Amino acid sequence: MAGRPAVAPTGNGTLLAVEKLSVFYGQFRALFGVDLEVRAGEIVSIIGANGAGKSSLLKAIVGQVGRTEGRILLEGADLTALPTAEIVGGGVALVPEGRRLFPSLTVEENLHIGWEVGRQGEIGFDEVYRYFPILKERRRQKTRELSGGQQQMVAVGRALLANPRLLLCDEISLGLAPVVINELYEIIPAIRDRGIGIVVVEQDITRSLAVADRFYCLLEGRVNLTGRPQDTTREIVAQHYFGV
Amino acid sequence: MFFSWANQILQGVLVGGLYAMFAMGLSLSVGIMRFVNIAHGDLIVLVSFLILSLTQAFGLDPILAVLITLPLAFLGGYLLQRYLLQRVIGEGVLPIILVTFGLSIIIQNGLLGTYGADTRKVAGGGIETATLMLGKGINVGVLPLAIFVTAMVMVAGLDLLLYRTRMGARIRAVSDDVSSANLVGLPSAHIYAIAMGIVGVTVAISAGFMSVWTNFDPTSGPSRLITAFEAVVLGGLGSLWGTLIGGIVLGVAQTLGAQFDAAWQVLAGHIVFLIIFMLRPQGLFPRN
Amino acid sequence: MPKAPFNAWLVPAGRLLLLLGLCFLIAGPWVCSIPQLQLLTQFLSLLVIAIMWNLLAGYADIVSVGQHAFVGIGAYAFFGFAVFAGFSPYLALLAGGATALVFAVPVMLIIFRLRAAYLAVGSWVVAETLMLGAGKLTAFGGGSGVSMPVSVVRSLGVQPALRYSHIYWLALAVAAVALATTWLLMRSRIGLGLTAMRDNEEGAGSVGVNLIRSRILCFLWTAPFLGLAGGIITLQKLRVAPPASFSITDWTVYVIFIVVIGGIGSFEGPIIGTVVFFLIRQYLAEIGVWHFIILGMLSIGVIMVEPRGLWGILRRVVPGDLIPVSHRPPARPLAGSDSAPSGTHLKEPHSTPAG
Repeated sequence: MAGRPAVAPTGNGTLLAVEKLSVFYGQFRALFGVDLEVRAGEIVSIIGANGAGKSSLLKAIVGQVGRTEGRILLEGADLTALPTAEIVGGGVALVPEGRRLFPSLTVEENLHIGWEVGRQGEIGFDEVYRYFPILKERRRQKTRELSGGQQQMVAVGRALLANPRLLLCDEISLGLAPVVINELYEIIPAIRDRGIGIVVVEQDITRSLAVADRFYCLLEGRVNLTGRPQDTTREIVAQHYFGV
Repeated sequence: MFFSWANQILQGVLVGGLYAMFAMGLSLSVGIMRFVNIAHGDLIVLVSFLILSLTQAFGLDPILAVLITLPLAFLGGYLLQRYLLQRVIGEGVLPIILVTFGLSIIIQNGLLGTYGADTRKVAGGGIETATLMLGKGINVGVLPLAIFVTAMVMVAGLDLLLYRTRMGARIRAVSDDVSSANLVGLPSAHIYAIAMGIVGVTVAISAGFMSVWTNFDPTSGPSRLITAFEAVVLGGLGSLWGTLIGGIVLGVAQTLGAQFDAAWQVLAGHIVFLIIFMLRPQGLFPRN
Repeated sequence: MPKAPFNAWLVPAGRLLLLLGLCFLIAGPWVCSIPQLQLLTQFLSLLVIAIMWNLLAGYADIVSVGQHAFVGIGAYAFFGFAVFAGFSPYLALLAGGATALVFAVPVMLIIFRLRAAYLAVGSWVVAETLMLGAGKLTAFGGGSGVSMPVSVVRSLGVQPALRYSHIYWLALAVAAVALATTWLLMRSRIGLGLTAMRDNEEGAGSVGVNLIRSRILCFLWTAPFLGLAGGIITLQKLRVAPPASFSITDWTVYVIFIVVIGGIGSFEGPIIGTVVFFLIRQYLAEIGVWHFIILGMLSIGVIMVEPRGLWGILRRVVPGDLIPVSHRPPARPLAGSDSAPSGTHLKEPHSTPAG
């Protein structure tokens, strides 16, 4: 990872630049030349209907799709051809859809995996336990024994322990009770305020736009609307979301 | 009479230590990578021939020869997994079975071509015949006892490695869910390969003991595989302590079978395996 | 297929070749010498075993390395019925097939308890047990086996020429029935369900219910044919012995190489594989143990590079199946042959947003 600054710059420098990204699964094309930018210390929401290509975008950023065209740059360094381990080591962490914990490992062990695959940084176990005190109590329990909300906390904690410069959150509210969702979403701005760039993918448009500094709307693999939530109306967003 | 039987059972338990040693590597690959390496027995025999060559050609002490093979076996296991088995893993059961099956045939016939069909044994320098007399007709060979103790130490060591080390946690994570591991940036191919390297080390240790204690020839592999497989299934797939018990059950069954008629030794092991398997298909100590 | 491609003639040409082969087999007793006829008999027996193994491993997801057990059971049962029970060789042959079927039921009860990945070695354990058990039968000569009395041999024909052509006709009949009925099985709803299951791991949920029943049927299906093959092999060798009648090398190792190299999961594959194996067998014998090494490397190479084997390679040029099993367009290319990381399944559904 030579040539990269060890500390994420503050200010409004571009953290992630996605340029003309296309994603292919065999014959099927999921993204068509998507451009996207995330700055350090900014929350960017990706909205779009089922199948619009949101998950494909996130997976492409962490190097988990078969074939792509275009470029993905993290502070100018090209991630496109790198294996996932190096991308994560370079400061990109994903909270995957469906949490994807290791069920037979304890909370602590799951968190430790994040710590090991990530880069050096200031976020440690104490920090994660401060965000999610319940995890400290349960740290010796296997994650399969936890509730859905607690599992989601472990998934977020695991990603945070990788000390990302860019945090990708894929559907973290899926299947959770509103109280738990609120708790999780309170933490996202706090993470942003550490200077971390955050990409949030959500089905729930209201929730997604409420937390976002900027948003992109995807329709059938293309960006058809982007801007700041306060500069647009619900109608306009809904039209672009459904493509009518 | 009682002490004669007790002695036989004791001998069977000790034989079971060797069987458990054969099975330990297989148990790891079943528990972690969820496949049965059909060439497992042939790899044990391959390393035995390597030890034979080291002791005969260079006049090395068997223990030194085994120590030399340990890193080689780790490297061999790593490379085998990383550059051959990894390419067909996760594509259903057929390719991995066929590749390890092909490997088994290649190793057997490669050894036949190189060493000929003769039965071999590595000279242990007297340890083979050393015996502890415990009185009342019960006696214990020093070598079988050493094997049994080593087998226990190996299970305990692997247990510690898997449940008390970072690499162990990584291995269990990949074993839990490969695609999740890939998604969060764990290099699953590398971790699988390390696990196979560890399997290689168990193979080398068991090959070392086997080559001194029993005769072997280039076609001995399949029977070692079958014994190992039976021990793994009896113990409960993926459970290391269960594998040790499985090995002991087989050892005792064979020894007692041989009491009735020497020709029934192997068959008795298979029959006991099949009966217990029908009654308890999940094994004696199923994991989870 | 929308319109006939330039190489459409290859399909009828291939079928013609198969037909010529069949004509040659039928004309065999008139045009071949006794040694040639014996070779053809071996060919037909091995072809039957290969087709059965392919049905299990290529379609029913039962990767067994213990099918030689049923060849051995057929051999021993044939011997028992013909020699001890005094059945005519023809009746003894059928009884041998039936015995293999009877044994298949408990064997199946044992090995089907193992998950697919572990079934292979499980079936081997069972085969090993049965072979060792056969070695305990004193009437059959125990571990060293026993030869067939001359009287039984002569009941098939006093002259060797007549006898061998009788054995040959039996082998041809068994092979023909095995091929034709297995082809019909593959074209039935059961066979089509298995093919769909194999070609599409995710989308075949609807056939999942019947999958277990189909696998049971396939396993039981293969046993009598393997038993019949075992009987014919015994008629040729005129003796039974545990390591020869239950030979893992002859009835499993070679058979797996034949099917893998010829093309697993297709009807043409085992046929092509068996033909190629017999064409090169005499050269293989000359190089001793190294021929196993070559065959082993070849089949590992096939699995890595072209899992559909020789027929898969030919199929790139030949626009259709010679022996059509399904009514669907050409099989999908096998994905993931160049070590793509597993688990990157297509998550984005093809649906378009509503509205």
